Amino acid sequence: MTETQPASPAKALLLLPVLALLGLFFVSVFQLFSNGFADADGWSLRYFRQIVNRSDYQVIFARTILSSLTVALLSVALSYPIALLLWRLERWRNTLLIVVLVPWLVSLVVRTYGWLVLLGPKGVINGMLAWTGIIEQPLALMFNDLGIVIGLTHVLIPFAVISILSSLLAIESNLEEASGVLGASPFQTFRRIVLPLSLPGAFTALIVIFLASIGAIVTPIVLGGMSHQFVGSQIYQEVMYTFNLNKAAAWSICLLAISFLSLLLLKAIERRLIGTME
Amino acid sequence: MSPAQPEALAQAAPSRAARGSIHVAGVAKAYGATTVLSGLDLAVEAGTFVTLLGPSGCGKTTLLRLIAGFIQPSAGKIAIDGRDMAGLPPQRRPIGMVFQNLALFPHFSVEENVAYGLRLRNVPEAELRRKVGTFLDLVGLGHLGSRRISQLSGGQKQRVALARSLVLEPSILLLDEPLSALDLQLRKQLQAALKEIQRQLGTTFVFVTHDQEEATLMSDRIVVMSAGAIQQYDTPPAIYSQPANLFVAKFVGELNEIPGRIAAVTSETVEIDGPGGRHALPMSGIRGFSPVPGTSCVIGLRPERITILPPNADADAGGRIALPGTVIERIALGSVLRFVLRCGEQRLVAVRLASDGAALPEAGSPCRIAFDPADAQVFEPLAAPAAASFGEKP
Repeated sequence: MTETQPASPAKALLLLPVLALLGLFFVSVFQLFSNGFADADGWSLRYFRQIVNRSDYQVIFARTILSSLTVALLSVALSYPIALLLWRLERWRNTLLIVVLVPWLVSLVVRTYGWLVLLGPKGVINGMLAWTGIIEQPLALMFNDLGIVIGLTHVLIPFAVISILSSLLAIESNLEEASGVLGASPFQTFRRIVLPLSLPGAFTALIVIFLASIGAIVTPIVLGGMSHQFVGSQIYQEVMYTFNLNKAAAWSICLLAISFLSLLLLKAIERRLIGTME
Repeated sequence: MSPAQPEALAQAAPSRAARGSIHVAGVAKAYGATTVLSGLDLAVEAGTFVTLLGPSGCGKTTLLRLIAGFIQPSAGKIAIDGRDMAGLPPQRRPIGMVFQNLALFPHFSVEENVAYGLRLRNVPEAELRRKVGTFLDLVGLGHLGSRRISQLSGGQKQRVALARSLVLEPSILLLDEPLSALDLQLRKQLQAALKEIQRQLGTTFVFVTHDQEEATLMSDRIVVMSAGAIQQYDTPPAIYSQPANLFVAKFVGELNEIPGRIAAVTSETVEIDGPGGRHALPMSGIRGFSPVPGTSCVIGLRPERITILPPNADADAGGRIALPGTVIERIALGSVLRFVLRCGEQRLVAVRLASDGAALPEAGSPCRIAFDPADAQVFEPLAAPAAASFGEKP
């Protein structure tokens, strides 16, 4: 439509909720930054210095970044075959997609506590292994990085399945037939045609899951315990237990910076890897 | 092969005189209770440009996909170069295929698309470069090898798809309506290019289309299909002048249909009650059925076979049949004039050369409509399903 409709007061009212949301967003971001870069005496980088200089905090950053990267790679690797299966089983696709998404109907906290039951020292997995005599001492499956990675991967895998499936579905229907007529075996067709064309979806999944994981709170708290903090759970602790809002803000700004820089880095890698495909 | 031959053609067309024949024997295809093709027999000689022509849903694409090996026949045999193809997947058959949507690989350059099949066959890099170059030149895209597929026009994409299949030097190239998405101008260019390439290489082309003009223009032979069966397999002129039945006559070219009833049959002539009384037509005009007195029939007349005379002319000279009529429309179409005539209740179309226009009546004037009985063809009326494919009610 080229002509603009006359603005009426009633329509202007519709803008109010949007403005309210935007306002809330900017106020909280402003609050965050003014808390992070200040202390009781005015502007200061005190809290940042506190965070950056402590070696146990450096471990938290390293754990958050490395675990998130592991979660992202693991999720994509595990969901690629699932997406491929859904793509192939045309008739069952929608039913199976519901199965993939069903965990989302259960609250995150409940699901995470479910893993507690499975992974604990007297949990289902250790119990089974001990019963069959494979192990004598229970394996440390939680209150460590492994537990966090397992929990986060489980939570985030559906994102990867959906993202990869959508790029598979975007492949023109008879590219595979064309490749076959030109002499390719099914495996060659997969390696040279299907895989390269689905990489953009896989990479999007990698980025989304990395960013979601890097800010995780609940899973690290429940499955990592006090000894294995994530940046997110550390922020939660500063707010809820030590009531140090300035330090929590400084943590948050660090997290924001890490997310932003990783996004730039991953996008650069993606361009390198995939090129400018249309 | 003599070393003196021009290089491009020598590389593109090794001797293949014996390669590219197709034999289809008793082939049927059914999906559950739905029969798509029934009892097809077809023999295509090597090096022929064959078109499968028919309305949508007639089974022509199914036949193509059976030859390609994407689907297997429910009954019957398909042989290529005398070798039975039963159970062989497409990649084991000596065929190439150009798809309706072309199915080019969007993540490869033009060159890499063409090189794809050669790479799968581990052709050495130097030979691969040479072949890709030769075939890109053949389709006129030698200068665009490094382009991405998304940077090409519709016509250029067609040419890439063609080169990608031809570079593997298949015995048979199957083309599934590859030109249907293009505008008329480009379509005509590519029809000519396709025909020229086929003539140069001598590869058997099996081309699917629903456009009778395209089929007539390009093919050595046309397979006219309808309702899952082959109606006629012949050269384009033979199909136009000697159609096997009313379906073929209506589908290929324009046809005036005059309903009639068979009154009497002798060894030489068939007498038909139609507009203007009883007419005796030669038995040689009967197409694909044996006339029985008392049954209805259709007299078919091609528009260029109708002569338009002044109302007072002595039309019966030379045994011609002449009927009184009126000119409703006279339309100039470049080199020809198109007349719409009325003869009683019957509407007829006639085409005459524009250069004869001065002697022909204007719109609105009375006239005599004449034709030679030898030019009339007599058909059985269409059965209901065939009539439906022309949008007619039986």
